[in-house]
Amino acid sequence: MEPIIKIENVTKKFPEGEGEFVALKNINLEFQEGEFSGIVGPSGSGKTTLLNIIGSLDQPSSGNAWVMDKNVAELSHKESAQLRNLHLGFIFQVYNLLPVYTVFENVEFALLLQNKSKEERRKAVMQALEWVGLENIPNKKPSKLSGGEGQRVAIARAMVKEPKIVLADEPTANLDATNAHAIIQTMKKLNEELGTTFLFSTHDEKVMQYLNRIIHLKGGEVEKDEIITAQNPKS
Amino acid sequence: MKLAFQLAYKNLVGAGLRSWLNVGILAFTFIVIIFFNAYLDGWNLQAQRESIKWEYGHGQLRHQDYDPLDPFSINEAHGKLNTPLSENLTAVLIQQASLYPEGRMVSILMKGIDSDQKILELPTEAFAKSDANIPALIGKRMASSNKLEVGDQLLLRWRDKNGTFDATEITIIEIFETDVTSVDAGQIWIPIERLWNMTGLKGEATYFIASEKYSHSPVDKWYYKSQAELLKQLQEIIEMKSASSSILYFLLLGIALLAIFDTQVLSIFRRQKEIGTYIALGMTRWQVVQLFTVEGSMYSILASIVGTIIGIPIFWYFSTYGIGMPDYVTQQDMGVTIAQRIYPAFTIGLIMGTIALVVLSATIVSFIPSRNIAKMDPVDALKGKVQ
Repeated sequence: MEPIIKIENVTKKFPEGEGEFVALKNINLEFQEGEFSGIVGPSGSGKTTLLNIIGSLDQPSSGNAWVMDKNVAELSHKESAQLRNLHLGFIFQVYNLLPVYTVFENVEFALLLQNKSKEERRKAVMQALEWVGLENIPNKKPSKLSGGEGQRVAIARAMVKEPKIVLADEPTANLDATNAHAIIQTMKKLNEELGTTFLFSTHDEKVMQYLNRIIHLKGGEVEKDEIITAQNPKS
Repeated sequence: MKLAFQLAYKNLVGAGLRSWLNVGILAFTFIVIIFFNAYLDGWNLQAQRESIKWEYGHGQLRHQDYDPLDPFSINEAHGKLNTPLSENLTAVLIQQASLYPEGRMVSILMKGIDSDQKILELPTEAFAKSDANIPALIGKRMASSNKLEVGDQLLLRWRDKNGTFDATEITIIEIFETDVTSVDAGQIWIPIERLWNMTGLKGEATYFIASEKYSHSPVDKWYYKSQAELLKQLQEIIEMKSASSSILYFLLLGIALLAIFDTQVLSIFRRQKEIGTYIALGMTRWQVVQLFTVEGSMYSILASIVGTIIGIPIFWYFSTYGIGMPDYVTQQDMGVTIAQRIYPAFTIGLIMGTIALVVLSATIVSFIPSRNIAKMDPVDALKGKVQ
């Protein structure tokens, strides 16, 4: 089966002073559809950089990153925006909710970009809010939400368009243990029910215990690729 | 684009006081621009209308030596038309004279005009009703400056065509009221037949006033000034005034636009994570640029709405009751026609034009900082690291 994500000799360098900092060194990885995987490692190990490349927010300095058969390195701004809009969901450490919008509007945003009808949007948003257990507070503003609720909204926003891949960058870093478990359990449930591929960047032990596969990064290189349990391929 | 408007509106309303301050100053500018322009347009329209009614008619056929701005040549600038006098022309003969109100000597222009004329608003029909030796019409400025009243008789001295002084008494039969000082201050109007007799210039005129039906063909020793040419000077004066006033409202507009520019720069800097999030959610960079540009121009759209709501009662009041001009402006000959009350002319064209100006300029100043978003690295934006 063709991998949904294929990283091929990816190196990423950033200018640093007069030299350059190598964030990723010759990474080779493949992810199958439906995986619930995590990239773990200490700060500066390249987790977020790898996630950004997969999310087509960044491009590799060399090598290829294939996401849903599209080479991120060769996509135009418009094509990468389309890839993110249709197939990728993002969950951020600090939720990144749009402050002037309500919970409903935040979740609805991605569908507005897809030009879905009002009724389609309403149904999808309420469904997504139901997945994360927030169907009762659609009109709340992000400033009135707790940390756990904020991250649930972010999950609903990532999931509302039913993407193939969700990229979650340290999603539990700002949450207490109870909320962290609840959030991961929600994502795990969505992974199992919808077959969405989840890829985390984390160093949180609470997250790791739910993962099916853990890729250890150190100094920009894959130190260990660990399969914890059998994968959950959609097919 | 619809999405950009929806999002921009939400962002703007969500930004609260900051947005409304920008909208407020822009709405104020919008009202000031419309008000000043309407005031000048109103003045222009009234001045044109009054000048046509009281002085210019539909054009003037002038003797080749006549220069209204040269007092030394006026007495000699007269002649007869070689062609038969058209019924669409009314003759006016101008001669210099001296008037002696209350024993003082006042230099004046003595203007003879046909008592049957219908082109100008001058109440010349009063000549026929009067049995005075020399009935005279004067304007309220002339009456006021010389303390003259209807029925007053006073000495008039002039030179005939041979240069011989002559004098007689004239009677003020009516004082007319006009905004056109150039038919009022320092002059009297008498029947042209009497002036011909007084000066021996039978059948001669300094200029002829054309009616609407007059069609001009060149006449030897006479030149024709169409209505548009006659009004040109007035328009030029008002355009000059308009240009000087525009400094004020461009300054105001500049301040308002600076506020929007500043807000946009600050907004882009403070909302980096939001910009990164938009891109992560699938917006292209140019869609984000569009969103921020629309947000900036939305200030002007809201300002136009607020300005219209606040402006309508203000505009209605002034267009109904007018703006009173001080006496020192209206009582003296300022070289331009100024009504006692000016009624601003608020036209759809002016309002739409001002809306277009404000929206366009706000869009441009919003776009300038927003286009930097296109160069932003979404990863840096998400981290809030863009400088």
